[in-house]
Amino acid sequence: MESLFANLALGFGVALSIQNLLYCLLGVLLGTLIGVLPGIGPVATIAMLLPVTFTLNPTSALIMLAGIYYGAQYGGSTTAILVNIPGESSSVVTCLDGYQMARQGRAGPALGIAAIGSFFAGCVATVIIALFAPPLAEVALKFGPAEYFSLMVLGLIAATVLAHGSLIKAIAMVILGLLLGLVGTDVNSGVARFSFGVSELSDGIGFVSVAMGVFGFAEIIANLEQKEKREIFTKKVSNLLPSLQDFKDSWASILRGTALGSFLGILPGGGALLASFAAYTLEKKVSWNSANFGKGAIQGVAAPESANNAGAQTSFIPLLTLGIPSNPVMALMIGAMMIQGIAPGPQVMTERPQLFWGMIASMWVGNLMLVVLNLPMIGMWIKLLMVPYRILYPSILVFCCIGVYSISNSPFDVMQTAAMGVVGYIFVKLECEPAPLILGFILGPLMEENLRRAMLLSRGDALVFFQRPISLTMLVIAGVLLAVVLAPAVRKKREEAFVEA
Amino acid sequence: MKITNGKDFWAGLMFVAFGLAFMWKSQDYAMGTSVRMGPAYFPSVLGGLLAILGAVVLFRAFVSKVDNPLSVFPFKLWRLVIGLALGVAAYYTQPGHGASIALEMGHTILAGVAVGLIFAAFGERSLWVVLFSVVVFGYVLKPLGLVAAVVLLVVISAWGGHEFKYKEVAILSVALAIFSVLAFVKGLGLPMNVWPGLWE
Repeated sequence: MESLFANLALGFGVALSIQNLLYCLLGVLLGTLIGVLPGIGPVATIAMLLPVTFTLNPTSALIMLAGIYYGAQYGGSTTAILVNIPGESSSVVTCLDGYQMARQGRAGPALGIAAIGSFFAGCVATVIIALFAPPLAEVALKFGPAEYFSLMVLGLIAATVLAHGSLIKAIAMVILGLLLGLVGTDVNSGVARFSFGVSELSDGIGFVSVAMGVFGFAEIIANLEQKEKREIFTKKVSNLLPSLQDFKDSWASILRGTALGSFLGILPGGGALLASFAAYTLEKKVSWNSANFGKGAIQGVAAPESANNAGAQTSFIPLLTLGIPSNPVMALMIGAMMIQGIAPGPQVMTERPQLFWGMIASMWVGNLMLVVLNLPMIGMWIKLLMVPYRILYPSILVFCCIGVYSISNSPFDVMQTAAMGVVGYIFVKLECEPAPLILGFILGPLMEENLRRAMLLSRGDALVFFQRPISLTMLVIAGVLLAVVLAPAVRKKREEAFVEA
Repeated sequence: MKITNGKDFWAGLMFVAFGLAFMWKSQDYAMGTSVRMGPAYFPSVLGGLLAILGAVVLFRAFVSKVDNPLSVFPFKLWRLVIGLALGVAAYYTQPGHGASIALEMGHTILAGVAVGLIFAAFGERSLWVVLFSVVVFGYVLKPLGLVAAVVLLVVISAWGGHEFKYKEVAILSVALAIFSVLAFVKGLGLPMNVWPGLWE
């Protein structure tokens, strides 16, 4: 316990330095901005900024990028409530009741409770990370290659199970991602695989290109295909503080949302999106006010908004302790760490305590900034929402293109991203979820490396994965997950859950 | 047998194609043994798995209860044919070092039109206009500088939307050009030409 306080003190010392405060502020503001704006998410933004983080020191870079992710959760709710469009995919469910509240002239309390719930969830999640990350990292330090391989299998399976849409297609996307991740020079033999003689490809397909093409460009193109229609409740936003009655009505939902969100964030495949969906579904089941859900129940805003913020933050736990990304944003964070020359994994905590604890402390600081800054600034965000998409998307494209170009100062990365945009568009059209692909992409080389080492150590005996207890446990969980989801009854429920939400 | 789910049909075909392609390409590398895996081992296994899963998806397309038409993408054959022809022409007419600027620019435009047409053969206008604007940006940034590249990117991509208002696009492109010069070149110090650097 004492070491916890010492560590947190160290963390706050780092997070409260002027420079880091500034980057934290920049991150959360940028996060809120892109959260408010529909059509651009944290994945595309972080991908866009990755090249820029080259020049920063690692701690500031990661503090800023983390701020974007949880900041986006705050911003996403504003758009959901006022425009009935999710500013962020994790705010989809907030539209249901939040927009109804706005139509009833209660946009203020809806925005207020979303912010307060998010802040509470952010504080709890910060403590959870501080408490659980160190012991988990200690366990992870004992992992051998077999354990790591099984862990990745589990992570990828869980990610597909929790993704929506067809399970088989999701698994196929993971494998396709793994394969694309293998493009480039093989570390063991030095052979440039699947590079077709293109010298740029011998370093592998650029991660930023994949993320930005598949998520950013494909999203813009898909948005352009739909006609935009927006109805904004701007004039009615007054009295941001929820009434005492509102608090009485929603404190239990905030608690439940936070708990569920924190838990789901830790799971591989989890994160903000899953957390908000699950919290809304749960709240609809257990709340005394469930009859009013969909008609402007404040619980239907409080629970998912708390949950998505909690989930966004606790999804850093597997990243910081195991070096395994649980969702595409975390995959990008790994990319950011690698750019800085940090190998993600359990050793980060012991070798770079300032980075580790500084980042955790910055999350709390960032949440405080968000709640203090955002409520007064809501008028400004609303103005931003009035900007039509036909002005937004060329601007987004400009930033994306400059960001991609600056990776290696050559047209190649831009072309690669455009090509990935085509691929991403095809995925959208064929209803193939891109999130599992990006997880596979980042894990491909790691998985191969660990498989090789494990097999070398066991002299080619594949049973090693079943003989080591931790590895076996993880494979069993993965198997059970698959079996459960494939069971007809659950399969139907799962489809319903995603349709309903 | 009738295909009911067109989306699954194409998705399955795509996975099978990718899986087989990776397996086929892996044959160029050493397989190794399970103790000492060569560079071909893991991709071959994964490629095989992907092909099998793709086949399952493909099969499901015939029995699925979900109804999706087979024509997922609008497809215009003649654009593809002309685009490919121009692309081949561009590939074989690459000007060597020391060619005149006019020749090089002409060649770049030829290649650009070819790529644009190939994009335009598939998908809606928004797809190919946006991607074409990105490709143009990538190629003109070095010779023409950031200002021109940003203006081109904004103007072309704006054409892919539903409305194109000349005044708005003009203001937006100038504003973004100024902003990106200030933020990226002056602020972050990215090494980019601001103005045309053709004659350097």
